[in-house]
Amino acid sequence: MTLLVSCPFHCFKWLHCFNNSYTFLKFSGTVFFVQHLHMSVFSQSFSPCGRFLAAGNNYGEIAVFSLSSALSPDATDLSQKPILTFTAHEGPVFSLLSTDSHLLSAGNGEVSAWSWAELIKRVIHNLHFSLFSFVFSFISIPPLQENSLVIGGGDNNIHIMDLESGIFKSVLQGHTDYIHCLSVREREGEILSGGEDGAVRIWDCRTGHSVHCIEVFKYEDCARPQYGKWISCLTTDSDWMLCGGGPSLSLWHLRSMSPTSVFPLSGCQRQATFYQDMILSVGEGQFVSHCLMGGEVKAQIPCTPHSLNTLALNLNSTEHRVLTVGGSSHQIDVFANLYYRSFSLSF
Amino acid sequence: AMSDALKKRKSKVVRSETGTPEGKRGRGDGEQEVRVYSEEVELDGSDPAEDYRQYKLTCKALAKLMNEIQELKANGAKDGCAEVEQKRMQSCIHFMSLKKLNRLAHMRLKRGRDQTHEGKQRVDVLHLQLQNLLYEVMHMQKEISKCLEFKSKHEEIDLVSIDEFNKEAPPEISRISITKDDPHQLTLARLDWELEQRKRLAEKYKESLSSKEKIQKSIEVKKEHLSSLQPGLNAIMQASLPVQEYLSMPFEQTQKQIEIARHLPPSLYVLLVQANAYGQACDKSLSVSISGDVDEAKALAKPPDDSQDDDSGDSDAEEEQEKTKRRRPTTGGQLDDKRREMLKRHPLSLCLDLKCKGTHTHTHSLSVTAGCGCVVTIVSCGRELLNSDTLLNCLYANDQGRETPNPANRYQFDKVGISVFGDYVAELGHPYQWVQRLGGLQFPSETPEVCDSLSASHMESTMKLLRGRVQSRLALHKQFSSLEHSIVPVSSECQHLFPTKVLSRLSRWTAITHHEYTNLSFTRHVSDAGLARETDLFFLAVVERGTARLQAAVVLNPRYPEISPLFALSLSWKGERAGRSDDNLRAIESEVNVFKSELQGPRPGHQLLTNQVARLCVCLDVYLETDGQDDSVEGPREFPREKMCLRTARGPNRLKPFKYNHPQGFFSHR
Repeated sequence: MTLLVSCPFHCFKWLHCFNNSYTFLKFSGTVFFVQHLHMSVFSQSFSPCGRFLAAGNNYGEIAVFSLSSALSPDATDLSQKPILTFTAHEGPVFSLLSTDSHLLSAGNGEVSAWSWAELIKRVIHNLHFSLFSFVFSFISIPPLQENSLVIGGGDNNIHIMDLESGIFKSVLQGHTDYIHCLSVREREGEILSGGEDGAVRIWDCRTGHSVHCIEVFKYEDCARPQYGKWISCLTTDSDWMLCGGGPSLSLWHLRSMSPTSVFPLSGCQRQATFYQDMILSVGEGQFVSHCLMGGEVKAQIPCTPHSLNTLALNLNSTEHRVLTVGGSSHQIDVFANLYYRSFSLSF
Repeated sequence: AMSDALKKRKSKVVRSETGTPEGKRGRGDGEQEVRVYSEEVELDGSDPAEDYRQYKLTCKALAKLMNEIQELKANGAKDGCAEVEQKRMQSCIHFMSLKKLNRLAHMRLKRGRDQTHEGKQRVDVLHLQLQNLLYEVMHMQKEISKCLEFKSKHEEIDLVSIDEFNKEAPPEISRISITKDDPHQLTLARLDWELEQRKRLAEKYKESLSSKEKIQKSIEVKKEHLSSLQPGLNAIMQASLPVQEYLSMPFEQTQKQIEIARHLPPSLYVLLVQANAYGQACDKSLSVSISGDVDEAKALAKPPDDSQDDDSGDSDAEEEQEKTKRRRPTTGGQLDDKRREMLKRHPLSLCLDLKCKGTHTHTHSLSVTAGCGCVVTIVSCGRELLNSDTLLNCLYANDQGRETPNPANRYQFDKVGISVFGDYVAELGHPYQWVQRLGGLQFPSETPEVCDSLSASHMESTMKLLRGRVQSRLALHKQFSSLEHSIVPVSSECQHLFPTKVLSRLSRWTAITHHEYTNLSFTRHVSDAGLARETDLFFLAVVERGTARLQAAVVLNPRYPEISPLFALSLSWKGERAGRSDDNLRAIESEVNVFKSELQGPRPGHQLLTNQVARLCVCLDVYLETDGQDDSVEGPREFPREKMCLRTARGPNRLKPFKYNHPQGFFSHR
């Protein structure tokens, strides 16, 4: 599922509907367990103040790292360890999203909310509510509809939920297979979704109907039938859209609904983002790809995990402006400078 | 005055003329009224002030006369003039009176001087007397003080107190009436009393000595008598042996053991006692016996400075070394000898016999021979395949038994040139730490004392571990033999973990060395994480199906099944893929390595390895059958889908469903 949470929600009125449960603290310590060998990081999210990073792994654990201590000049090995690790879900934590005060996590059919203030103080208090089927990612919704969470589900539908009341406002139906990723066009108030069925759908928030449907695998330039047709990576910059997965990563001009560039990246891309005038992308392959809008691959920066699942830029803070990537390793690489790996945080 | 003076002068003249005393005396003897003229008397009589006045007058008169004469002469008087002559005569008379006065003055002076002198003399004499007396006084004082300081020897003797003395001493000594008042007598009496007492006590002492000797003699006699009884008793004991056996009370045996046990070094003794106690109380299958040369042990124990300290015969060996030094002066083989002596074992050793129930009819037994801190040999009747050298490795984590646990040995070894103790492990045995603990030895320790409680606290856990180790090893060996024949045995309790139809087959199972393991390209991450050590066992398994060939490198920790074996995978099928780079292979590794609790089967979990291999085969099946939609390739798929899966790819890394659900029989994601 993908979730979208809009900016601040002032009170949690929907607490009463759902169970509150305390999950137990599990200190990972400095012992290297066999589990670490087989750990994969699926999701990341920075705290609203920008000083902390939360990461979710395949064992259902969320670890909170202190960026300020890891980036400080007198950082030790211990500062690269999480300040807090706890089990959030039974299955992998595929998606993490931060609002102004809370961290939302999704995994195995349930969405939980954690207060950032409490997490920083190492208190875990889970406010969770169950949903149906598995969840993949969160995204946020534009100010048009405040305090909504858009969730892309394993039941092939997109659900919009009001965070304050906790009730589901609407359902967007149209995909024929589960949804991998969601993105939002703020100006136009549209939601974009990419799914396993290979289609990228554009929805209008107000009407709830699918405005466009792009089947990327049908375009010869992009299609890579040897991999498949699913779309696992989707992001927009209002006028432009990046999508990739089975098909190659491609840049689309949304007004004309046509691909302008196709990036020659082998391997399936799992997450991409626009940054300044560049495109950063991660996926299969032990590197972060820097691409230009024109379609060239400018650089491929090596990193620790053999394949990457998540890429996050800390735009909430000016002094801790880093890029972090995580994937099939217990280590999360931190790039203070985009062109080389500074150090790695580890679970 | 003038006439007096003349008279006086005359008298003077008379006196001075008569020089001879007879003459004078003659004259003096009352013939005529001779004026006896004594100047002395005159001196007493005259007054000095009067004389002085007289002198002044005379001088004045003389001066006047002179003036007159001078006047007369000036007025032209002739020499010899009568006035002048008269005046001259008068002045002469004046001169004579002056002379007299002068003389008187002199005499007066002389007399004064004499008197002073006399007085002085008298004063001197007195002064001298004073000095003498003072000196004498001082001398006396010194003598007195010396006397006072005198310490008589008698004060050093501790005398009985006065009251006691008065009470105890017989009256002829104490003489209370006299001594009450006179301290000197009291002291004398006390000394007397002391002397007498001492004499008495000396006599008593002599008597006691003689009686002691008598008693000693009688003791000897009795001892001889008792020892003569010994052979008789022995005979009785021998005769009673069959009775003991009949009653199953091995009294004789335990006595013998106790007897021999006295010669064991302390650590072995503790081990014996604790093991016996544990065996009797908790574990009937444990029995302990002592083997070795008792006489040699007795010989070792003879020298008085033989240390009763801890540690493997090193301290004993030191003694031996000193003895041999004297016997062998040659320096050539001395270092070798020293080394040998240092590492010499104690002649006695313990044999711990642990019977473990096997799955078959015969029971296996584990015999651990512990020789003074080292585990010497391990014999297990039953399976020869058990590698006795490494069987007990890592019973506790990191207890490899290659280094001596006593830090002091380092220095001893350096002295004789032993650099690596591990070289001697083969003959001496493994100095495992748990053996030290069972023997009550704890390093580092400040006092080399052997501690009972340490042994007791570890006995139970060590015995359990030993038994568990033997059983798991036996189970492993059984598993190995079947794996080598490409059979993956799955017990009935674990059938539910796997689907009925599994098409992948184990085609090879071989043991490899640590070196070979680290050289494999796909095991780097395990070695880097420090999970593949030299004490571990390594294997290479190959699972095949069709054209696909999966290699699995396995690390087996000696503490199996407590620690799960670790698999690292590499697949060659349409290209090479390794667990690190292929997310799905990594997921298979995870399935096999991480879920020990599911796979270990019923307690004690010996089936972990075979279940892991079975799961590996199942996962390979799923992997091959759910291979991605490759629409471009035409023709039938090599591996048709036979497994039931809900979804073939989930998540950004598109994992396949490897989790088997029983009894529905489908595969899902974790």
